[in-house]
Amino acid sequence: MPSAVIATDVVIARGHRIALDRSSFQIPTGKITAIIGPNGSGKSTILHAIAGLLPIDSGTISVLGGEPEKSQRSVSYVLQYAAVPAGTPLTVTEAVQMGRYSTLGAFRRPTRADREKVAAAMAHLEITDLAKRHLTELSGGQRQRVYVAQGIAQDHALLLLDEPLTGLDLNSAKTIDAIIHDEPNRGCSVVLTTHDLEEAKAADYVILTAGRVVACGTPDEVLTAVNLTNAYGLGALHVRDEAAALFPTEHHHGPDGHQHGPDGH
Amino acid sequence: MEWFLEPFALGFQQRALMGGALAGLMASVVGTWLVLRGMSFFGDAFVHGVVPGIAAAVVLDINPVIGAALAALFMVIAIEVVHRNTTLSEDTSIGLLFVGMLALGVMIISRLDSYAGSLTTILFGDALGITTVDLITQAILAIIIITATTLFYRPLLALSFNKEKAQIWGLAPNRAHAALLVLIAAAVIGSFQSVGTLLVFGLLVGPPAAAALISRTVPRMMVTSAVIALFSVWIGLTLSYHLGTAGSATMALTPIVIFFLVLAIKQLKPRAKDQVLVDA
Repeated sequence: MPSAVIATDVVIARGHRIALDRSSFQIPTGKITAIIGPNGSGKSTILHAIAGLLPIDSGTISVLGGEPEKSQRSVSYVLQYAAVPAGTPLTVTEAVQMGRYSTLGAFRRPTRADREKVAAAMAHLEITDLAKRHLTELSGGQRQRVYVAQGIAQDHALLLLDEPLTGLDLNSAKTIDAIIHDEPNRGCSVVLTTHDLEEAKAADYVILTAGRVVACGTPDEVLTAVNLTNAYGLGALHVRDEAAALFPTEHHHGPDGHQHGPDGH
Repeated sequence: MEWFLEPFALGFQQRALMGGALAGLMASVVGTWLVLRGMSFFGDAFVHGVVPGIAAAVVLDINPVIGAALAALFMVIAIEVVHRNTTLSEDTSIGLLFVGMLALGVMIISRLDSYAGSLTTILFGDALGITTVDLITQAILAIIIITATTLFYRPLLALSFNKEKAQIWGLAPNRAHAALLVLIAAAVIGSFQSVGTLLVFGLLVGPPAAAALISRTVPRMMVTSAVIALFSVWIGLTLSYHLGTAGSATMALTPIVIFFLVLAIKQLKPRAKDQVLVDA
């Protein structure tokens, strides 16, 4: 099965800062991939690039077999709840219904099938009883459940989640975690960012980043003491020469089982 | 009853009411998106930014609507140029253009013999001087604005919710933003003759802000905002007649008073409903 995402020698700048230096990685189809790394290591940058929200400065990135911008309608991106202000007067149902916009566009009226998908998403996230609540009346965990419901109400083949469990109450975290692990059963690929090693270990595939992708493979292959020390102990590795000096001989497994060095080669 | 009917007995008074109502309708509907997107400072700067265009039109004896439209276009482009080519935040570029355009307008109008009178008319409007032609222009603009707001509801709602999500949903947030700027410009241009550039802002922000306090959805906020605006125009003109105050200023002040009244009532009410749910 082809990879959902194939990135080759990707460099991404945000303003005058290199947010992700030359990196290559693949994201397997129908699996859960966790991107882990310290703050400012490029985790959200990778998600934004996959979602087609951030242009890449060099290299290539293929998402679901095409350019990221052209694959956007098949990609659902759940932002951190704290990144979305709850000021817009929306009820929970309306917020989840917005997930259907990628299919409905600006003008088409929702059909019964659209309404059923919204109801199913709300039921999965256990927020049906909150349907008429205003977003500002919800706790952080409840809002995150609403945004995940919005994400899965959208027709998608690839689900991106930016730190979906960070700062949540146990009940919301459990509910969202169950949804994440159910997505591959529906044929969807999942990519999430996390700071939590346990969460990363529960994934099928892990990408470790520290200003550039320093390792990718199964959790056992990537979450080693040496890799974690390199990624977290040294901070972000923005300078290519420094990274090459730090990882002269280390190799990592790609999703296809091939060996990949720190820059993916 | 006579107290309410007397201010609108004459033709020019009725035209003032209709002109104010149309201005209120346009400004409050567009203003809903302005308030939701946190663009109030932009709105304030924008209504002042059209002053040099109107002033130049008065000096050159051409239609002020054309002058206002050109000034609005220049203002939007200049804000974008400053914002994209410097590390300054957008509010700094808005502030620069705000002061610059207002000063330029006052400079232009100061060359006129009737400097004080012309400036007052531009800034504070002349509700009682509205003509039938003005009303027709306003009505056309109001129809365009309300139709466009309805048509672009989803792109504008998505943009208010989150720009990145709007892009992923394929709802072209940059185009929606540009459309909103055009709608704001149309509302300002369609309103300044009745309430003046300075006081259009009152109708752009006051009614939507008051409506936001009591509305749970955007469509309801828009309708409530329009009702508050229409009420403000009517009660504002009525009060100005009986109190002998300036009509446009009284109209603009009314929604602000309503906002604080609604806020006070909300603060006094039991707050059980507003409590955040505790997770089960």
